[in-house]
Amino acid sequence: MSERALRGVAARIDARIPRPESFTSGLRGPRTTARIGTWLAVTFTIAFVTGLYSHASQLATPPLTLPSGPSRLYQVTQGLHVAAGTASVPLLLVKLWSVFPRLFVRPPRAGRELVLNLLERVSIALLIGSAIFQLATGLANSAQWYPWSFDFIRAHYALAWVAIGSLALHVAVKLPVIRRVFTEPVDGPADGFDDGPRDGAAEPGHDGVPTRRTLLRATWVSAAVAVVVTTSVEIPGLRRLAVLAVRSGQGPQGVPINRSAVGADVAGLFDDPAWRLRVVGPVDTVELSLDDLRAMQQRSAVLPIACVEGWSASGEWGGVPVRDLVALVGGGPDDDVVVRSMQPRGAYRESRLPANFVRNPDSLLALTLAGEPLHRDHGFPCRLIAPARPGVLQTKWVREVEVVKA
Amino acid sequence: MRVVRAVLGLLGAGAAGYGVLRLLRLPSEQVLAVLVWAFGGIVAHDGVLAPLVVGLGLAATALARWLRPSLVVLLVVLGPLTLVAVPVLGRFGARSDNPTLLDRPYLAGWLVVVGLAVAVAAVTALRARRSSSGDPVPGPPA
Repeated sequence: MSERALRGVAARIDARIPRPESFTSGLRGPRTTARIGTWLAVTFTIAFVTGLYSHASQLATPPLTLPSGPSRLYQVTQGLHVAAGTASVPLLLVKLWSVFPRLFVRPPRAGRELVLNLLERVSIALLIGSAIFQLATGLANSAQWYPWSFDFIRAHYALAWVAIGSLALHVAVKLPVIRRVFTEPVDGPADGFDDGPRDGAAEPGHDGVPTRRTLLRATWVSAAVAVVVTTSVEIPGLRRLAVLAVRSGQGPQGVPINRSAVGADVAGLFDDPAWRLRVVGPVDTVELSLDDLRAMQQRSAVLPIACVEGWSASGEWGGVPVRDLVALVGGGPDDDVVVRSMQPRGAYRESRLPANFVRNPDSLLALTLAGEPLHRDHGFPCRLIAPARPGVLQTKWVREVEVVKA
Repeated sequence: MRVVRAVLGLLGAGAAGYGVLRLLRLPSEQVLAVLVWAFGGIVAHDGVLAPLVVGLGLAATALARWLRPSLVVLLVVLGPLTLVAVPVLGRFGARSDNPTLLDRPYLAGWLVVVGLAVAVAAVTALRARRSSSGDPVPGPPA
């Protein structure tokens, strides 16, 4: 084929691909994009910061001492994490709609402009790809659905940095447009990107044509509705509105469970009459029966189970403060504690309780929930329950408590 | 503003680069799976969802003007909500040993939200029709 024929084909293909000006809705444009984008920056920042906190609190030895109170701290931060991610779905979709024609801007022919254009497109691809990845995998994970072959925690953490970084880069590139847009009224006769044609229409009161204000309000309502129907289960009085929540909040002894005794493969182990709790310390090692534990000084505390998936439920737990067990075997106030489960496998069969959590008297080796012996699915004969901690670290079906130097 | 842009841009590039490095620490087949998901998301949006919405917009231009704002609101509220609801509507993560997980009637809940949204949108649309024609509306359209 000659060069001329090739050019002819290319021109015909080009003519078939829409151009930015092929899209006629006057609701698109920077005034829509910047306003929704600002809220997206807020929700992504909330999700990033609360995600970092959740990540740090699940490390065996956190890089800095995390507070062991108030007891609802993790419940609030993780609830915010999931709520911010959920609110981001409508915000991201409407924002992408508002800039969709920009996908069809023809790149500059050559030179510095072409390089800059390609760089910006790469950064935007990173942003959109990581944003969609974070929202899709986060939502699926909150419903315990894992239709992928990668390690969710590590992938979600890595792409969180890609998303927040490419977002900051994008804001840096677009800052002049953002600044200009916020000095102009929301609705007005014309709007357009600097290098594109100005859009018409979208005048307020233009005989029934949706205005930009209508679109923006619909977007805010959409974000609010999505959050309320999925996560308000934790807010008393709104529970009934959470028709799409992953859990109703019901469960044995009033608390839902994440992993059952059957699921954890401890069905034949937890009710063994020969069970003894091994407490290992620097001075002594003791073995305690359930009756021995019940004979110790008991304490009760109202503490939430707050899961990474965003749900949480509070219960009244009763049992022995972990620090009393530490004292029994000669441990000190600066020692961490490792709690081990009877579970034969799984990443969460042991957890490390940092010293400042051990010192908190509400950190319990719980024997009761709601005044009754623990249900098997809550970790009978005993489990760890401590304030301000992710649910996966509240180790169940405990067989050993070891005092370790921090 | 130049300084703010430069600092923000550099911090952003640094954070994104760190994320890419963290990603590359995963085994290569997992990195590939992550890339398939991330770029699959872009393709699913730009190739399927966005053209679908553009098509709906074109179709809406054939409808009466008083109806359009209500339909826009309906799409913006119900579209994302339905996507958010996919994991619970499908109950893909349900486990027979754990009845406390995914324990709500999700289809019924979703239908109630859809019903309420349609009802509100219908009332708004009828009001718009009344004010645009200036005449009282005799009854709901068939």
